[in-house]
Amino acid sequence: MKILVLAKQVPDTDKVKIDPVTGTMIREGLDVVINPLDLHALELALCLKESHQALVTVLSMGPMSTETVLRDTLALGADRAILLTDSAFAGSDTWATSYTLSEAVKRLNIDYDLVICGEKATDGETGQVGVEFAILLNIPVITYVSKFISLHDDSIVVERTTEDAYERWKIKLPALISVLRSVSEPRLATLSGKKQALSRKVEIYSAKDLGLKADELGLSGSPTRVVKVYNTKLSRNCRIYMGKDLNQGVREVVKLLKNYKGSVQR
Amino acid sequence: MNETIIKRLRSIVGYENVKTDYDEVERYSKDETSSVEPSLPSAVVFVTNAQQVSEVLKVANQHKIPVTPRGAGTGLSGGAIPTKGGIVLSLERMNHILELDLENMVVVVEPGVITDEIQKLAEEHGFFYAGDPASSESSSIGGNVAENAGGVKVLKYGPTAFHVLGLEVVLPTGEIVNFGGKMMKNVMGYDMIRLFIGSEGTLGIITKIILRLIPKPKYSAVLLTPFKDMETAISCVPKVLCESGILPTSIELMDRFSVEISSKFLNESIPQQDADCHLIFEIESLDRESLTRAYISLGEKLQQLGALEVYIADNRHQKMKIWKFRKAIAEGIIAFRPKHCMEDVSVPIKTIPKLIRSTYDIARKNHVEVLNFGHVGDGNVHVTFLKPETMSDELWKKAIHNCLIELYRVTADLNGTVSGEHGIGVKRKDYLDIFLTQVEIETMRKIKQALDPNNILNADKIFPDTSASVRQI
Ligand SMILES: Cc1cc2nc3c(=O)[nH]c(=O)nc-3n(C[C@H](O)[C@H](O)[C@H](O)COP(=O)(O)OP(=O)(O)OC[C@H]3O[C@@H](n4cnc5c(N)ncnc54)[C@H](O)[C@@H]3O)c2cc1C
Repeated sequence: MKILVLAKQVPDTDKVKIDPVTGTMIREGLDVVINPLDLHALELALCLKESHQALVTVLSMGPMSTETVLRDTLALGADRAILLTDSAFAGSDTWATSYTLSEAVKRLNIDYDLVICGEKATDGETGQVGVEFAILLNIPVITYVSKFISLHDDSIVVERTTEDAYERWKIKLPALISVLRSVSEPRLATLSGKKQALSRKVEIYSAKDLGLKADELGLSGSPTRVVKVYNTKLSRNCRIYMGKDLNQGVREVVKLLKNYKGSVQR
Repeated sequence: MNETIIKRLRSIVGYENVKTDYDEVERYSKDETSSVEPSLPSAVVFVTNAQQVSEVLKVANQHKIPVTPRGAGTGLSGGAIPTKGGIVLSLERMNHILELDLENMVVVVEPGVITDEIQKLAEEHGFFYAGDPASSESSSIGGNVAENAGGVKVLKYGPTAFHVLGLEVVLPTGEIVNFGGKMMKNVMGYDMIRLFIGSEGTLGIITKIILRLIPKPKYSAVLLTPFKDMETAISCVPKVLCESGILPTSIELMDRFSVEISSKFLNESIPQQDADCHLIFEIESLDRESLTRAYISLGEKLQQLGALEVYIADNRHQKMKIWKFRKAIAEGIIAFRPKHCMEDVSVPIKTIPKLIRSTYDIARKNHVEVLNFGHVGDGNVHVTFLKPETMSDELWKKAIHNCLIELYRVTADLNGTVSGEHGIGVKRKDYLDIFLTQVEIETMRKIKQALDPNNILNADKIFPDTSASVRQI
C-alpha cells in the first residue's frame, strides 16, 4: 500500500490579509506552516501506515522555505518528502499547480494507491488542486471525506459530508480523496521523531530536474487571473431577550422552532 | 439605599447607568468563586470616566455606603462580591485603549479592557504584553492589576505587577491621583504603584493603566510530557529549573483528574491521557535553530528524569491547542463540579513535591476528592478540593474548612503563601493569621485606614473578621 499526501505551505495566521491593489496575499513577516487541513490528510495516512504498513510520501510545490515544513511531516512519521521548488513555479494558479504536481508524479515515478489531500488550503481557499490533480492522472476523486471507513485490497470505503446528507462511497484504487477535519485528529511530533527528522533529507526537484517547459509553469502556465478580491459583509439580525423579557424570548424561540421547516427543502 | 441617593448617582452617571432592578443587578451579586455565597447590591453604577468615579465615591463617603469595584467578575476570591450590599461600581464600560505608544513601548488603557485585547493589539504590532492569566479572554486588565494576576508566563515574565509602569487611581475619598508614567525607572518616594497593585479594590479605584510592552518573542515551542506518576513529575520541576540552563516561560501541571475534566469540557483529548499527570513546558528563542537545540536539550533532560514521552508543538496551531486544553481546566471544574474549593497556595519550588504529596493525605483524611493543576514552575498549585456526590452540603462545609486549615498549615510550614495570584478577598481572609502575625496584619490595616477613613471601599475584604475564631474546628 502506497499513500501520497499532497501538502501546501501556508502563512501561519488566522487573518489572511489581501493587498487591495494586486489582489495577492500579504505574506511578509508571517511564519510558515503546513496547511492545517493537510495535517488531517497526513494523519489519516499515518494511521493507515500503522494499521496496514503503508508507505507514506508527502509531495509539495512551494518556495524553498517549504523544506522546513516538509521536514515536520517526516518528524510526524512520513517516509518520504518531496519538494518541487523553482522560481519558474512562482505565481502558479490551481491549474499550473496541479499540472506541475501531476507531472512530477509521472516523471519521478512516484508510486501511489491512494492520494489524500486536505479539503482546501487556508490561504487561497480554492479547494481545486486535489481534484485537478486527480483528473490529470485520470483517477477517481471523492471530495469532502469526513470519515474513513475501511481499506480493502483494491478499494476504500469512505463517508463524505455534503450540505444535506452523508454519502457512503466505495471507490476503486488508485483514487484521490480530499478530507475534512473530522477525518482524523493530527498527532504531535515526539522528541525522537523531531531528532530523526533533522538528519533526514527532503528530496528537492527543480523544473529542469523534471524536464518541464517554462511556458507551461508558474504565471505563464496559468490560464486564470485574480481580477478582484473584496470582502463581503455578512450580517445577522439578532434580538436579545433578558431579565424581565426572558419569557417573551422563550415564546419567540418556540414559535420559530414550530414554524421551522428545516434547511433542506424537498 | 434611599431614593435621594439613587437620584444623585443618576445625576452623576446618567439615568440609565444606575441599575436597581433585581433582574439587572442579580448577576453582580457573584463572581466565579464557588465557595462564597452571592450577595445582592442595592445598585450597580456604570461609570465611564475617572471624574464620575470620583463623584460617586464622594457621595458614598458622605453617606457611608459600601462600594465594591468590579471589573469582569472572574475573580476567584470573592473580591467583586458586594458582601455588604451598597453600590457595585462597574468598570466594564471603561473599556478603551487610550494610546498605543510604540516608540516608548507602552500601551495606556482603561481598566475595563479585556486582557486578551491588549495581548492581540500588541501582537499585531510585533510587540508582546506578557501578562497572561488563564482567564485572559474574559478578565479585565483593571481586575488583573487589582489582583496582581499571574498566569502561565510568570516564570519568565513575572506577574501583572512587572508590566505596570503607571496608574491613575481614584482614592476612596474621591481625589484622583497619578503615580508612575511611561518610564522604566522611578524611585520618587514610596513605590505607590506596587501598593495599589494587588490591593484588591480596597485602597482605590484604578481608572487608567500604563503597561509595558516588550518585543515579541519570535519562536517558541511547547513540550507536553506525560509522566507515569505525580512524584516523578513534580520532583523533576526543581531539577529542570536548576540544571537545564533554560528558563522556560512556563512549567504547568495537570494531574489526571484535571486532564479528564478539561477533555470532557472541550471534547478534545491529548496524547497519553491516562498518564498520572502531564507537565507542559514552553520555551522561547530568537531563531528556529536555537529553539530546536533548546527543546532537544530540555526534552532529553525530561526523558532522563522519567517522562514517558516528550511531545513537541512548534507551530501556532498546535501550541494554541495545548494551551486551550490547559486553560479550560478551571472552566471545566466550574461547569462540572460546581461544589469545589479552588486554592492557590504557593511555595518555594524545592518544596513543591512535599506540598502536593500532602494534598492527597488531606483529601483522604477528610473524605473529599482533590485535583492538582497550576503553575508548578512558580511553585503555585491550584489544589482543588471537590465535594463527593454522596456528601451532604453540611458535611462538605465542615470538611472543606478542615482541608483548608490543614493545607494552609502545611503551606506555612514550607514558608509559602496562602495565595499566589487569586488574592484573599472574602474567601481567605479568616485564614490570613496562619501566615501573618498580628503586627503584620495591623501594618496593612493602618494603610487601609489612612486611605479609606470611612471604610467604604471593599470594606470586608482581605482583613480577618476580628470576631472570627476560625481555628476552632
Ligand atoms: C477560568 C478562570 C481562570 C483563571 N485563571 C487565572 C490565572 O491563571 N491567574 C490568575 O491570576 N487569575 C486567574 N483567574 C482569576 C481572575 O480571572 C483574575 O483574578 C482576574 O484578574 C480578575 O479580573 P476581573 O476583571 O474579572 O476582576 P473582578 O473579579 O471583577 O474583580 C477582582 C477584584 O478586583 C477589584 N477590582 C476590579 N477592577 C478594579 C479596578 N478597576 N480598580 C480597583 N479594584 C478593582 C474587585 O473589587 C475585586 O476585588 C481565573 C479565573 C477564572 C474564572
